[in-house]
Amino acid sequence: MDVVIADRLQFAFTIMFHYLFPITTMGLAPFVALYTIEGIRGDADAAKAAAFWTKIFAINFAIGVVTGIPMEFQFGTNWAAFSAASGAVIGQPLAMEGVYAFFLESIFLGVLLYGKGRVAPQLLGASAVLVWLGSWLSGFFIVATDAWMQHPVGYAITPSGVIELTSLAAVLLSPFAWWQFLHVLCGALVAGGFVVAGIGAYYVLSKRELALARRFVDAGVIVAFIFSILVIFPTGDRNGDDVTKYQPIKLAAMEGLFRSTKDAPLAIIGMPDSHDHDLIDPIYVPDILSFLAYGNFNANVKGLNAYADTLEPPVELTYYAYHVMVGLGTIFAAIAMLAAFYLWRKRLFEEPALLWALMLGMPFPYIASEAGWIVTEVGRQPWIIYGLMRTSAGVSPTVASGEAIFTLIGFAGMYFLLGVLFLYLVLREIALGPSAVAEHAAA
Amino acid sequence: MSVIAFILIGFMLTMYVLLDGYDLGVGAITPLVARTGGEREGSMRSIGPFWNGNEVWLIAAGGALFALFPKAYASSFSGFYLAFIIVLWLLMFRGVAMELRAHFPSELWHQFWDACFFGSSLLLILLYGVALGNLLHGVPLGPQGYFSGDLAELLNPYAVMVGIFAVATLMLHGTTFLVMRTQGPAAERARRLVPRLWRVVLVLYVAVSAATIFERGIGLTWIDLIPLLSIAALAWLLFAALGKREYAAFGASSLFVASLLLQAAATIYPYLLPALPPRPGGISIFDAAPSPVALMSALVVTIVGVIAVLIYGTLVLPQMAGKLSVED
Repeated sequence: MDVVIADRLQFAFTIMFHYLFPITTMGLAPFVALYTIEGIRGDADAAKAAAFWTKIFAINFAIGVVTGIPMEFQFGTNWAAFSAASGAVIGQPLAMEGVYAFFLESIFLGVLLYGKGRVAPQLLGASAVLVWLGSWLSGFFIVATDAWMQHPVGYAITPSGVIELTSLAAVLLSPFAWWQFLHVLCGALVAGGFVVAGIGAYYVLSKRELALARRFVDAGVIVAFIFSILVIFPTGDRNGDDVTKYQPIKLAAMEGLFRSTKDAPLAIIGMPDSHDHDLIDPIYVPDILSFLAYGNFNANVKGLNAYADTLEPPVELTYYAYHVMVGLGTIFAAIAMLAAFYLWRKRLFEEPALLWALMLGMPFPYIASEAGWIVTEVGRQPWIIYGLMRTSAGVSPTVASGEAIFTLIGFAGMYFLLGVLFLYLVLREIALGPSAVAEHAAA
Repeated sequence: MSVIAFILIGFMLTMYVLLDGYDLGVGAITPLVARTGGEREGSMRSIGPFWNGNEVWLIAAGGALFALFPKAYASSFSGFYLAFIIVLWLLMFRGVAMELRAHFPSELWHQFWDACFFGSSLLLILLYGVALGNLLHGVPLGPQGYFSGDLAELLNPYAVMVGIFAVATLMLHGTTFLVMRTQGPAAERARRLVPRLWRVVLVLYVAVSAATIFERGIGLTWIDLIPLLSIAALAWLLFAALGKREYAAFGASSLFVASLLLQAAATIYPYLLPALPPRPGGISIFDAAPSPVALMSALVVTIVGVIAVLIYGTLVLPQMAGKLSVED
């Protein structure tokens, strides 16, 4: 196997598995903090809810931490040429993530998990908030790193070909990074909302823990409703604008637009075929792509034929990932809106079908988030740093594909085990239910 | 500025070895001091709130190395590819063992994770020691500043000896922590273990020092005075432990570990990756550093962050201290 492919497979596999957990961390952290604070203020039900969600959060956080450790170090192990060339820039947000976010998260999660009865209740509440802050900061620094690789700013290239940082502020304050981060964060909050509402719906449907379950559904639906709108507009829309402006070839791949077109239609479905340069069996909405991209129904949108073949990203993967993200995003926004409407009319708990939809919809925000990252990362190929460095030039010169395949298989085996353990332990806590979990935690 | 960056990374790695060192040490001595399931759980609980924060020093130091010395980061991580990935796997196993053990009430479940915790802690210390040994020994750098160290080459006798010394040292470090933090039969066994481990550490310290002099010669600079500090710390450790001054013993152990790392850092300075003879030099802090702008901003944000961590860490973590009583 080509070493570039082996390295990419390993990074893709380890990052996609890892990312499932930070989604939950970022999405659940506000719920954990709010329930913890309400519990400290004397709300007994909230205290139970806090014990339950803290437990789920802790299991999730543990897997997130252990699968996160290899991510930072893989830049050096598998992408040494990229790291040596760009470390002066991207090493900064990564170092800041360690110093500003990870310490905050891990130290205060330690207090939150072990501090009961040892520290003042106020410190427990503050710890929950700081864990929340840490998880979002961590997300920001990572997205800022990625955003720089998508749209490099604040740098200069020395005569010897090394990329030098000229302004850290430019890297951290880049609008590209901020819109990307807000989009990622909204996605995580949709997931958090759906998890809380979905597990609440499960208890309501199984007629257990009714008082708490309704509270979970209420809180989850409200969060899912707000952020499933914000994830589409303005954040998704602004990300789309950035792609149109800075990475138009990615836009063409996302939309399966093989030929430059005036009055370009939007393909709702269809099967792209990069061999024959054709979108098979499409269903089009006329002129909409031109409008979405340029705000003008007659605008000319450049197709893949406008670019050299060597600049073309893998079309099928980019296209499908994008359509999966948008399709699922539409579905979960619809579920959340309907549920919010019925909640407002105070009839949600008389609609089992809607509760079923909330429960079964739990995986959708996760799949949509992962698909979104596939669009972002596969769609920017062949670049590792957009326009500056090719992915094939970034790999470690001394690591052979055989080594990367061996370690990829090792990671696959290990992560399979971790996935099974995670599901088993979390499902067990859910089966026990908040009351039993809280009682056990108090003992 | 490169020198400040070198000191900063040295400081962060020293913090990592001091802090994660005690929880790794606790893992490695668990079978020696904890006989029952309850005692094993107790020794794990003694580090429960701290280990993850301790490990962040490694992550943060890795990030700082990436930002401050990208070439050294790229070369060392890709050069020690398999060894590094094995370290990552062990770190993962260990984290999972500590975090998931308590989540399921079954004796077999506990025994399995106890074994993982012990094995991964022991192997990690050994590998860290071997890595340090190889840094002191020098690595086979190629002309582009890259190298490919195969595993057999990394396990040279000198490096393995440093690895074994590291195991003994951090076991002693962990034991002093356990004595300080817990009470009960396991803590008593740990207390009795201190003088015995101390003798092993002393013998290995003399042996490794002799081997290092044989490897690198003796320079007769201020660096050669550091061993006086190490020996004083080691003597103080035994004295404090016999006098049941638990905090002082842990402090002395920390000083001993820090003095060893200081000596190692002073020995390889100004190199981050000394080359294996006959090639002269290696990757030094001057040719691995980025531009002054990048160095300055990385230094400022990292130092400010580290100071903040030290402040809130010292404000908050002592509140979590206090004796943990470990009964069966």
